[in-house]
Amino acid sequence: MRPLLRALETLGAIAVYLFAIVRSLFTGPRYVGETLRVSEILIRRCLIPVGLAVAPVGAVIALQGVHIFRSFGAEELLSSLLATAVFREYSPALASVMVAAQAGSSIAARIGTMRVRGQIDALAVMSVDPIRYVVLPGLIACAVVTPLLNVLTTLLGLFSGWVFAVVLVGCDHGSFMANLYSQVSLVDLYVGLSKCLVFGTAVGLIAGYLGLQTTGGAAGVGKAANNTVTYTIVLILVCDYLASMLLLSLGL
Amino acid sequence: MRFDTFVRHAVRAQFRGLPPADEFVRHALDAGVGSIALLTLLTIFAGMNLSVQAYGTFARFGGQEMLGLFCGVGGIRELYPVMAAVVCGARIGATLAASLANMQISEQVEALEVMGIDPMRRLIAPRLWAVTLMLPLLCAYANVVGICASYFAAVHQMGINEGVFISQVKEIVHLPDLFAGVVKGVIFGWLVAIVACYHGYRAAKRDGAEGVGIATNRAIVHAAVLCIVLNMFLSALMYA
Amino acid sequence: MPEGSLYRMAAADINAAVVFEKVSKSFGSHVVLNEVSLLIPKGAIMVMLGPSGTGKSVLLRCLVGLIKPDSGRILVFNEDLTRLDDQRSADRHKLFALRRRFGMLFQDGALFDDMSVGDNVAFPMRQHTKMSEPEIRARVAENLERVGLPGTERKMVSELSGGMRKRAAFARAIALRPDIVLCDEPSSGLDPVMSATLDDLILELHRTLGMTFIVISHDTAEARAIATHIGLLYQGKLQVFGEAHTVLQSSHAHVRQFFERNTQGPIKVL
Repeated sequence: MRPLLRALETLGAIAVYLFAIVRSLFTGPRYVGETLRVSEILIRRCLIPVGLAVAPVGAVIALQGVHIFRSFGAEELLSSLLATAVFREYSPALASVMVAAQAGSSIAARIGTMRVRGQIDALAVMSVDPIRYVVLPGLIACAVVTPLLNVLTTLLGLFSGWVFAVVLVGCDHGSFMANLYSQVSLVDLYVGLSKCLVFGTAVGLIAGYLGLQTTGGAAGVGKAANNTVTYTIVLILVCDYLASMLLLSLGL
Repeated sequence: MRFDTFVRHAVRAQFRGLPPADEFVRHALDAGVGSIALLTLLTIFAGMNLSVQAYGTFARFGGQEMLGLFCGVGGIRELYPVMAAVVCGARIGATLAASLANMQISEQVEALEVMGIDPMRRLIAPRLWAVTLMLPLLCAYANVVGICASYFAAVHQMGINEGVFISQVKEIVHLPDLFAGVVKGVIFGWLVAIVACYHGYRAAKRDGAEGVGIATNRAIVHAAVLCIVLNMFLSALMYA
Repeated sequence: MPEGSLYRMAAADINAAVVFEKVSKSFGSHVVLNEVSLLIPKGAIMVMLGPSGTGKSVLLRCLVGLIKPDSGRILVFNEDLTRLDDQRSADRHKLFALRRRFGMLFQDGALFDDMSVGDNVAFPMRQHTKMSEPEIRARVAENLERVGLPGTERKMVSELSGGMRKRAAFARAIALRPDIVLCDEPSSGLDPVMSATLDDLILELHRTLGMTFIVISHDTAEARAIATHIGLLYQGKLQVFGEAHTVLQSSHAHVRQFFERNTQGPIKVL
């Protein structure tokens, strides 16, 4: 009985939280300056880790792909594979995972620190809604910044694949470029961007919720940061699979 | 303390005698058993996703029958070891960093020193050993779960012929590949642990709760980036 | 009191537990300790007073070799701590051996929060002695009883209140029967009754076990209650040091201002 009650309690808390978020999206006051400030910090902090994480993947796909395709004598297909994999799958998923790791954990830690130091209560006492002032800017920043980063990481992934295949292994530059876009369409780009939008929002939502729920002093702050990353990665991978199934059945 | 000094002290402590058994067992259990559920869940979805995505991609070239090759190479050689490292690194590394930072800000590390106990040997060495030994096991485990999930999705959802899939996996994945996964696991494990311990150990009393958050955040990000970048070099070394 | 003479007196005094000789320490351009010299005899209860942020904590950490002073010497039972280089393994062993003669009570207890109270108190014995498990358990029970927490062995640290934590930490600090017990702000964050209880505990342990206590504090009531020697540190300088009754009666401006809780005087609030 006990665990069931606790689960219901958590579900209730999540529902209240989501309702508060939605309400504050449509009603004022809005903290536009704070949102811009958070977005700017987020871009600056995420740019390098996200770039560093995505770039090697393009190279690794090229590295393993060259092996397979060479054995079939179909080397020109390499760039098509690279482009589809990067556009639709690896760039959005990895960019989101790294945003979760960098932005998600630091947002959760920041809100958690404010919670255990009593600053969240202090805001409420000063009639500033913590959801509007603390959670929402982070949430909007994550939702906007992740797709932006995705554009960059897609290019970076293709570039690192090109560097590996053409410069290091010596595939033909002409056929690489010719086949690069043969199998990708705008749909792939949209799929990638909308994935990022969803995942980025999820990062912001989870980080805000776990940050606000922080208890237990300094150790609790670490736990909030840690759980944010774990939960978001689970969510990203599960959603990614479901999205792949959906797209496949739609024939896109 | 600078990173290179920390590494020097840590390595010296790691190889001077056996680590304290109680701490080692606790962290090994936490790193290993504590990550199994998460890793299983994630690898199942990643493995199935790999099949589904590869199917979609190869269908464009009319090469669906190559699915086994792709799942073998992409999954076992690359995806699962890195995923185990990044995910477990995030979980284990964050836990290590948070607990060490918490010990620093509440002066527990100083308390050890005053008792005449070397914190490097008492705290850092057992954590390094625990993660270095556990992560390769987790990588191997992820390989098994992942390829099974890929197989399930390919054969039962995409309708690929069972025999073709298995023979292709067998053809492309050899014993050295599995061994390479374990080697990667050892390296990633040590890396995750040393980075996490460094960020946790560096927290100071005056940082307070904020310091724990910062340490956790840095441990997760640095471990993930290092593992992914290093994986590229290791793969280039092993397969190119 | 001219500072040089103090040290010369010390060198001859075999009763000295701790001697500081012109110890200085700065962090960057900020001078935290400025030529501090003092002598603490064996069996004393020395209370080092001073406003927050004047280097009391640094003084304590220099004494156990956690911080190395820039210049000067620190003698603990006639062994020069400052000459030990903790990067060299032989010196490190010596340093650790010397530290075992200290027990330290940290500000918030610094109990290991992944262990029970009993394991915390047993920890130094398990690490440093070859005592058998029943012996250790008996000693743990005895120590917890001394600090007024009998039967709490199985409790986890998170279940304890602030005052209980400090007392449990006390039980750990005296587990190996150290010669010197260092207390970092023992009364901070405690209500007056609990602080008084802790003061009584210090006096009781001093009487029954004959240890030397070095207490840093900004609580004048505590100094009055327990000190045999009092020092006053301000801006890195040891302004006054001596036996408790002489310091308490002295007309020294810093001392008067501090004990009379006066805003006017040489001690400035930042």
